[in-house]
Amino acid sequence: MDVFLQTLVAGFLKGGLYALIGIGMTLIMGVMGIINLAHGQLMMLAMYVTFVLNTMGVDPYVSLFVAMPLLFLLGVTIQKFLLNPLIRVETILPENQVLMTVGIGMVLTEIVRFAFKSDYKYVTTEYSNRTFSLGNISFSVPLTIAFGIALLFTLAMFWFLLKTDLGRSIRATAQDKDAATLMGVNTGRITVITFGIGSALVAAAGCLLAPVYYIFPDIGGPFTSKAFIITILGGLGSTVGAIFGGVTLGLAESMGATYFGMEYEDIVGLTIFILVLLFLPGGFKRLTKV
Amino acid sequence: MNLRSGVMSAFAAVLFALGIASGALAAEKVKVGVLLPLTGSQAKFGEIEKRSYEMAAEEINAKGGINGSMIELIFEDDTGKPDVGRSAVEKLISRDKVPVITGGYSSSVTAAAAPVAQQLKVPFVICTGSADDVTEKGYDFVFRINPPASEYPKAVESFLKEVAKDVKTVVLLYENSAFGQSSSKSFEKDAEAAGLKIVLKEGYQAGAIDFKPILTKVKAANPDMIYMVSYVMDASLLMRQSKELGINPKLYVGGGAGFTLPEFAKSAGDAADYVYSATLWVDTLPFPGAKQYAENFQKKYGSDTEYHGAEAYAAMYVVADALKRATSASAPTPQAVRDALAKTDMMTAFGPVKFVSYGKKSQQNKLDTYMVQWQKGELEAVWPAKVATKKYVYPTPAWNARK
Repeated sequence: MDVFLQTLVAGFLKGGLYALIGIGMTLIMGVMGIINLAHGQLMMLAMYVTFVLNTMGVDPYVSLFVAMPLLFLLGVTIQKFLLNPLIRVETILPENQVLMTVGIGMVLTEIVRFAFKSDYKYVTTEYSNRTFSLGNISFSVPLTIAFGIALLFTLAMFWFLLKTDLGRSIRATAQDKDAATLMGVNTGRITVITFGIGSALVAAAGCLLAPVYYIFPDIGGPFTSKAFIITILGGLGSTVGAIFGGVTLGLAESMGATYFGMEYEDIVGLTIFILVLLFLPGGFKRLTKV
Repeated sequence: MNLRSGVMSAFAAVLFALGIASGALAAEKVKVGVLLPLTGSQAKFGEIEKRSYEMAAEEINAKGGINGSMIELIFEDDTGKPDVGRSAVEKLISRDKVPVITGGYSSSVTAAAAPVAQQLKVPFVICTGSADDVTEKGYDFVFRINPPASEYPKAVESFLKEVAKDVKTVVLLYENSAFGQSSSKSFEKDAEAAGLKIVLKEGYQAGAIDFKPILTKVKAANPDMIYMVSYVMDASLLMRQSKELGINPKLYVGGGAGFTLPEFAKSAGDAADYVYSATLWVDTLPFPGAKQYAENFQKKYGSDTEYHGAEAYAAMYVVADALKRATSASAPTPQAVRDALAKTDMMTAFGPVKFVSYGKKSQQNKLDTYMVQWQKGELEAVWPAKVATKKYVYPTPAWNARK
């Protein structure tokens, strides 16, 4: 029983972080209809920001307030100057924006490799290894904090999308871009802001992950594919779906690790991914009304 | 008239000098192909090895090169992928026409590259790739300097036999890769032969964030010893999370790879203390040039080296030695270099190198392995006793009993 509960806790805590990574991607997906394949690389950048600040003595959780605005600006720049111009270009490939994000991801990785070398970096804090326990179940302090902050950001995101003008405009653009334009929404500006918000959210995930994990230039790729899986699981463009997708992936990985063997961790996640594609195309979004 | 002849003679002198220079340039290069992961997730080790090759080549060139000709290293990036490694070797042989190839970091890339070298009949001197079967196929153009993965735990076995006699149960954790599986399989066999009981055996995917699920099972199994085959950052996370869960075996042992790197201790902090590791090399070993190599590396690049670097450094000297013996009047041919390599018998900073056949292996260098232990953030050689720099701490103190 202890083993089961410990696995459940580990899965949930990891799932919270995954959800935060997935929400950013799904927002961008919803508004622009493209998968941002540089998503993990943006997270990697945020982790390096955290690392650099940490060498100056800044706590990783404080660096959230630096990394998020920085990545927001970077996201805005990418959308405005690299992705939006592509809409106007006629090519034989309809998805050239997606290809552009692949290129951006590679460039970011290599710039970071140039600046920081391939060495592993890590952010060690006095609470990196700290735990507290409830009964026989141990909770990692930094992962629990990360879960809490991820939850906070998700709720804030909901409030923003449901209650503010800008949030409504984003939802309108996601639902029907042409209609939104006719209603007076500046959809060009909305896409720019959405990419910024998506980048800032994944930056938050990077800062939260930094104290428990390690940092190297190639870390982006695996997280891009995780975000992609979460987005598909949840249903493209669905924020609620992304939370479900993130937690499901976290739980599936942990359960798979405990009961099938940890070498099958990725296989369990991907099997669920395929099952959802086969039997629930459209993802968990189909099960809810949001 | 005077002026004119002066100009003419100056012109002639310049021509003459140019002639010498170009003629000399053509003759004074011996190309050596080096296959390493320079990008991708293994790039860190690729970089250490690349720097070690470059350092060794500079030293050899400074002392006159290969009978007067300079070594020119041609690095090819295998990106850690077998198919890229294969085509990189093909490119080195067909386009660059190198007489010898060295390098080979990951086991899977090495296993894919070796048959290409064999088929095209160009000698391949492996410095790191350690999957056993690479030297078990009877390839006569493939040589290996490092011991195969199955021999990494030799020192651990003798330590268990002579010091840690009360260890009865073992948990085995390994990275699910060619190297991890090969090492864990052979450790399992040896452990059973030594009368140890394997109570749990778990593979994991490298790069995992959370090892709690398997560590919870480890804790439930309560073993005397935990043996882990992991690279550096997985190793660090495993130890940090073992500390979080308060797992207290008598021995934590890392089977080579990540546990000896300075990054392991720095990122794991006090969770790294008292962890043992099998290793192939430490700079305190009594081999000529070992200490000096580590010091020069630190001076030149400002970062620490480790056994992978020493393997690469030694490989360059072995290749240079063979090239010297294979080069007579003409440039060395692959066949001549192969024959020279087969007769290698020399001492390097990594230990003695001689390619022999034993068991199923052929053209394999035979070396000892060692046990090291982290004590207060320093990596100390502790076993075999004859090379020890500090006495081992056994059994490992419980987490809550440490200061």
